[in-house]
Amino acid sequence: MARATIRNEIRRLRFEHGEMTQQELADRVGCSRQTILVLEQGRYVPSLLLALQIARVFGTPVEGIFTLERTR
Amino acid sequence: MQLILWSILALGVAFGALYLGVRRAQRRLPPIALPPGEKLPTTALQRLAQWSLLAGVLLTLAAAAIVAYFGAAAWWDRDAVRLPVTGLLLAVLAVFTFYLTRVRLWTARDDGTLDERDLAILACAPAGQAPAMIVTLAAWMIGLVETYQATHAVPSAFLYLIFWSCLMVSILGLLGGVVIGYRRS
Repeated sequence: MARATIRNEIRRLRFEHGEMTQQELADRVGCSRQTILVLEQGRYVPSLLLALQIARVFGTPVEGIFTLERTR
Repeated sequence: MQLILWSILALGVAFGALYLGVRRAQRRLPPIALPPGEKLPTTALQRLAQWSLLAGVLLTLAAAAIVAYFGAAAWWDRDAVRLPVTGLLLAVLAVFTFYLTRVRLWTARDDGTLDERDLAILACAPAGQAPAMIVTLAAWMIGLVETYQATHAVPSAFLYLIFWSCLMVSILGLLGGVVIGYRRS
């Protein structure tokens, strides 16, 4: 079975939304700044609930933020 | 003394295996890039687990050092040894109770202090408890058999020490699981 990773555009979207800080985004979706940091850097895959909350903050569909990428 | 050496050796092997496992998991993950001079922010649960683990380890080591210095027989026979050791071990239980109370409070309040990643780490944290306790029991078994095989009589004081050591390893294993969880994910 091919392995896949999830890439995200959170960092880019933060800067496009008035250079929103990680802490601001964390406060708006109800998680810690560390979670946003590890999420941006691809070390953590969020739940569907958190992904939808992030998508709502940026006013973008989930698939516009998170993309599936096959590695092998 | 041979018994203590066996225990230290077994715990050394267990912690060595744990360290290698964490390093291996870390190598598989992409490194965290931070701006120069900035530290990785910690979460409330991470700080609580770190301080609880530090306090628990120090108190347990102090109790173990007293027992190792005076011997298991003195722990059984002399109140002057048993009471401080029991006090130190009960202090670990108090620290753990404080930790559990805070975590339950944060979970019940649902005010964002704990997020989904914290809860996922909490759920995975007990994974190391069972192996740690098995290693502890194996260390006791080997050490006691090696020491008392000739007499076929293990002093009953060791039953208490086995119980306390398993309880401490279980508590510290859980707290360590939380701390390691943040490093692995």
